[in-house]
Amino acid sequence: MKRQNVRTLALIICTFTYLIVGAAIFDVLESQKETTQRKELDKRKGELLKTYNLSADNFNELEKVVLQLKPHKGGVQWKFAGSFYFAITVITTIGYGHAAPSTDGGKVFCMLYALLGIPLTLVMFQSLGERINTFVRYLLHRLKKCLGMRRTEVSMVNMVIIGLISCMTTLCVGALAFSHFEGWSFFHAYYYCFITLTTIGFGDYVALQKDEALQKKPEYVAFSFIYILTGLTVIGAFLNLVVLRFMTMNAEDEKRDAEQRALLARNGQAGGHHHSASRGLRNVYAEVLHFQSMCSCLWYKSREKLQYSIPMIIPRDLSTSDHHSGISSVSTGLHSINTYRGLNKRRISI
Amino acid sequence: MKKQNVRTLSLILCMFSYLLVGAAVFDALESESESSRRRILEQKRSEMKKKYRFSEDDYREIERVVLQAEPHRAGRQWKFAGSFYFAITVITTIGYGHAAPGTDAGKVFCMFYAVLGIPLTLVMFQSLGERMNTFVRYLLRKVKQCLGFRHTEVSMENMVLVGFLSCIGTLCVGAAAFSHFEGWSFFHAYYYCFITLTTIGFGDFVALQKKEDLQEKTPYVAFSFMYILVGLTVIGAFLNLVVLRFLTMNTEDERRDAQERASLKRDRGLLDGTLGLHVVGEQSRADHRGRSNMLHSRSHSTLFLPMEEGTSRTNLIASPVEEQERRSTACRQRLHFQIKADRCRAESSLGSLCSCVCYRLGICDSPLMSHSEHLGCHINSVYYNSISYRIQGCSPSSRDNTGLSSPGSTLSPGHSFREFPRFRRKSV
Repeated sequence: MKRQNVRTLALIICTFTYLIVGAAIFDVLESQKETTQRKELDKRKGELLKTYNLSADNFNELEKVVLQLKPHKGGVQWKFAGSFYFAITVITTIGYGHAAPSTDGGKVFCMLYALLGIPLTLVMFQSLGERINTFVRYLLHRLKKCLGMRRTEVSMVNMVIIGLISCMTTLCVGALAFSHFEGWSFFHAYYYCFITLTTIGFGDYVALQKDEALQKKPEYVAFSFIYILTGLTVIGAFLNLVVLRFMTMNAEDEKRDAEQRALLARNGQAGGHHHSASRGLRNVYAEVLHFQSMCSCLWYKSREKLQYSIPMIIPRDLSTSDHHSGISSVSTGLHSINTYRGLNKRRISI
Repeated sequence: MKKQNVRTLSLILCMFSYLLVGAAVFDALESESESSRRRILEQKRSEMKKKYRFSEDDYREIERVVLQAEPHRAGRQWKFAGSFYFAITVITTIGYGHAAPGTDAGKVFCMFYAVLGIPLTLVMFQSLGERMNTFVRYLLRKVKQCLGFRHTEVSMENMVLVGFLSCIGTLCVGAAAFSHFEGWSFFHAYYYCFITLTTIGFGDFVALQKKEDLQEKTPYVAFSFMYILVGLTVIGAFLNLVVLRFLTMNTEDERRDAQERASLKRDRGLLDGTLGLHVVGEQSRADHRGRSNMLHSRSHSTLFLPMEEGTSRTNLIASPVEEQERRSTACRQRLHFQIKADRCRAESSLGSLCSCVCYRLGICDSPLMSHSEHLGCHINSVYYNSISYRIQGCSPSSRDNTGLSSPGSTLSPGHSFREFPRFRRKSV
């Protein structure tokens, strides 16, 4: 089966398994508390009904009023500051739901707004994230030079580590700030920052909902907005570094397959008797190379050895160098050169 | 200023203006109704307080109980079906919030679950979306052939149109279903589907929340889950078609710039020296001239051809940088590069990327195909292709020079290497 199909099927199975495992674990973690809390609340409700001599209908009415007032508890939600907050939650797809358009016009505009805003925001965060990664790479390169390290190239591992550290730092800074301003525990503030910056946005914790903060504390409001946008950029940079390449794998494989087909078609026409034998050999060779391609990372590490061995190899092996398939060089070192020499000898004998 | 910086700055400005405009419009649309609703509700509240003779504290207590009981109104949220629903909202980042982990352990697990699940889901949806696009492209071509069209190639506009229609279709199907099952109006159900499939997930409308649906109406539950996942795939396919290329633009430009810088440096370095090597190279070239002609007629040569003379790099992976040189080079330069390649690679940070799977090098066009631009590119096609790397971007003028893991641009495979060496040799 084509590689892309295998990959896609494997990913689907992985995701479903992940969902099932997650569901089971959440069930175990939360079901208990849910049941006990529910019992408690029912009991409390019964007590309240008795204390205030309320009928069930009365209570339902009360309940309705309380629930409808819920969004208003956080203050005015749709003045400019609140609308800006809402617009952020729409185009970043965080979507707390602390305020949601109640008018039909608002709902329609919200959909249109999201339609254009979400791709714009995706592209913007990836773009800015890439710039940040490049800048960090540059800084790290300079730092390595300053520290007088032998190898000043910035490896992927360096970048990933820095990305992880910056993500953790961003979350911790936010957790500190929000736990101070909102009166949450550090853990709950951290949880809030995490849920926000991954754009999940449950809405169980929402900033700027206390004490009319949206209208009365403009500096805190500005800080929150900047924090959310900056934090999303940092996460976006990390995703750009680590995840983006995987999202394009299928497309690249597809292109490569198309090229291969085109090439084979062309060779088939141009060819004639030369190719039948060589094609068979080619396929075998391709398999070998395929295996070798898996070791390209190893090759990379061995590059340093090659760096010193090349000057020695090349003058000697010039006669063979023409016919090297570079791929063989993917496997480490001199071994590949020797293989070639052997092959070349065969050719010469013909 | 560099293109990437201009692009990034303009995107930032765009987004801020978009936010400001959106905020203003939402303010205009909603503020009025919000304040009037609030007034009415507060009035009702004070009436009730008077009626039942609640003190402030009494009311607070009732409010607390009611708000805490809210998620329970919709039935058991954390039994397996509900947990599965919750897990979906986490890893797809929809995040309704209709149920959120109450225990601290649940919160911790939720965070770890998201860290691994979200990238997995992103990659999965893009992967599946790409497969769908390919399949649709294939179907469309067959349809065009059947209908006897003159041009049977599927253009981008065709694909975008089909993608757009399938998104609208998905939303409408969901709207019809949920308006029936949940008792919402069609418009509200459509709004729900839209907010869900864009992963915003406000939570103002949430499916499967009517009394005990999660536990009792299993087919409907299964339908909802499938709808959400399939709908996200359709949207993901559309995004893969339209948006993904823009997500990688900066990276590709950066790579191309790095290659250009490296090639400029090498050109400068060439003048300085390693002539010793050149001499050696030329000698070997001379030796080979006779032999290579003979070789071309061999079927063997096709096997080794991808490498062509001097292509023999020990640095297959470094080649994107080397390829730059090769365009105008005589063979000797290639040898020269092999030694310099590592140094150059140190300069360009390209070399540091070590992802085994993503190692992609593009293949240059054959000189025949684009002689004006890609003089001297090697054609290392079939073999490399099957191994999932191509040597790419051999010409400084090609915009698509990306050395490693380039998401989009590939040059077409070359093949007529046969001509190439002859061509090259003359120049030496």
